[in-house]
Amino acid sequence: MRAQLFNLFAREFRKRKKKTALITFAITWGTLSILLLMSFGRGLGNSFRISFKGLGDNLIMIYRGQTSKDYQGLPKGRRIRIYPGDIALLSTLIPEIELISPESHDYFTITGGDRETNRNVCGVGPSFQVMRSMIAESGGRFINEEDERSARRIAFIGWNMAKNLFDKDNPVGRTIIINRVPFTVIGVMKKKLQSSAYQGFDADHAYIPHATFSRIHTQLYIDRIHIQPKRPEDNQLVERRIRQILGRKYRFDPEDDYALGIWNTIEQAEVAGKVFIGIEIFLAMIGGLTLLIGAVGVTNLMYALVKERTREIGIKMALGAKRRHIILQFLLETVFIFSKGTFWGAAIAYAIVRLTRLVPISYEITGIQTYLLRPIFSLDILILFLVILGTLVFFSGIFPAVRASRLNPIEALRYE
Amino acid sequence: MIEMKNIRKVYKMGKVSLEALKDISINIETGEFVSIMGPSGSGKSTLMNIIGCLDTPTEGSYSLEKRNVAGLSFDQLSTIRNQKVGFVFQNFNLLPYATAYENIELPMLFNGKPAKKRRQRVLELLEMIGLVDWKHHRPTELSGGQQQRVAIARALANDPLLILADEPTGNIDSKTGLEIMDLFVKLQQQGRTILIVTHDTNIAAYSQRTINLFDGRII
Repeated sequence: MRAQLFNLFAREFRKRKKKTALITFAITWGTLSILLLMSFGRGLGNSFRISFKGLGDNLIMIYRGQTSKDYQGLPKGRRIRIYPGDIALLSTLIPEIELISPESHDYFTITGGDRETNRNVCGVGPSFQVMRSMIAESGGRFINEEDERSARRIAFIGWNMAKNLFDKDNPVGRTIIINRVPFTVIGVMKKKLQSSAYQGFDADHAYIPHATFSRIHTQLYIDRIHIQPKRPEDNQLVERRIRQILGRKYRFDPEDDYALGIWNTIEQAEVAGKVFIGIEIFLAMIGGLTLLIGAVGVTNLMYALVKERTREIGIKMALGAKRRHIILQFLLETVFIFSKGTFWGAAIAYAIVRLTRLVPISYEITGIQTYLLRPIFSLDILILFLVILGTLVFFSGIFPAVRASRLNPIEALRYE
Repeated sequence: MIEMKNIRKVYKMGKVSLEALKDISINIETGEFVSIMGPSGSGKSTLMNIIGCLDTPTEGSYSLEKRNVAGLSFDQLSTIRNQKVGFVFQNFNLLPYATAYENIELPMLFNGKPAKKRRQRVLELLEMIGLVDWKHHRPTELSGGQQQRVAIARALANDPLLILADEPTGNIDSKTGLEIMDLFVKLQQQGRTILIVTHDTNIAAYSQRTINLFDGRII
């Protein structure tokens, strides 16, 4: 097609700028809605996943339970507790386990700086660092193998506790007193998003080597075992093996779900992940429907434009315009209206997403804003959107354009 | 130039069919100035549309410059209209948003004449119709006579040998109408074939031959 024709088309299109402005706005609006819906939906899911990993990444937790079934002549209602020896037993018998750590805790009076507080103190192993996303602020570190072996009196503390005790001072290297025993602070936890917890959030806790905990506390059993499988998809298998092995040791039915408490966060994350994909699809559909309304509007407008220009089409046909000249002109106008609307919609959506992400969020669990303020404008959303858009453009443009090209030139010339 | 044999044209509107042309046979030689007269509804415009390849006959054969147009597609007919025929309408039919210059250029846009040649031709035609100073005016800024002169220039853009004019002076005052007719005479002198539909005998007097139509037949 020749360049001079495009000049003609452009000239004619500019004549109708005002008539197309409203519909361009509708397309802008539709684009904006669908992109924002999807970006915020995606961001919601993503923030959830991050905060879920704030508790731990691919984590299975075991804690005590009470039997609910008779087993091998033993009555139901027996308490089942776990002991330090179970760690070695499980890690030897289940090769699918990557990391394992005990956890015991109690509330102690903690003195540090000039202040005193009563907080949860956890005795944990070094692998807790990876499993529970315990990243130290620079200048500090987490508990290591040597700390555990030597039962050192050192502590890794949450950022809230650090703030409560030392305010803005750097706690690393300072001494805190836990249960009348002095500990050296070796690290402060870096802030993280955490959505689920037990006994309060990690930010408020102090962590000390499990061996050290055993020396300041008289409890023989352990409160929890944390396990990370080598491959997340093995979570069901590992859970089953734990019940079998500990069931044999403590004599309970491996099918008795209440004998042993197991919190399988991997399974939970999978379910949650599916929910968020569902939410994303739902939001995309709402956006798509909005866009569809815009497309119907464009189709209507194009029909109106064709009708209004019937006589011009007749003149052009009489002067030698071919069908494809007419079709092309109306298709191009549709594409142009859509491109313009889409461009502005996408630009505004992108700007809103970027600006929203600039809003600082607090890492305390304060509410929904933590999840809503981190929308994600990603390429796959844009591509999906453009595919939907392309289809709509095609259908809302092609019918009016074909109708225009099928006009009878004589009738078109007579049209008033 | 034009050879028509036993042309019939039937319009079907639902169950009613209207026979607009009944057995028309005409021969028009190149360079002739012919007028078509008849009362309204006699089939003048239908005949004109078929000659101009805007419409096709229901029956009969029609050759334009020795080429049989029967069975040609819409796009092939468009090419013929573009190259061989120049239309002049009673109501001018200029594009309202385009300037005189752009209106004259329009037929050349559909056959891809290079920009330089287009420009040259438009200026040549503007000169001929005496509206060089009006080239950037839109139709609404021109008088009826000026608009019709622009329309004639547009009809000549691709240098066709056949000019079809449907009541070309119908919408302009009689004095200006005479100027327009002078223009047609000039075109005939250039060797073009002129066909004018009119019911004004003063206009028909310019032609060398008059075809009278009544109720779809030549009388």
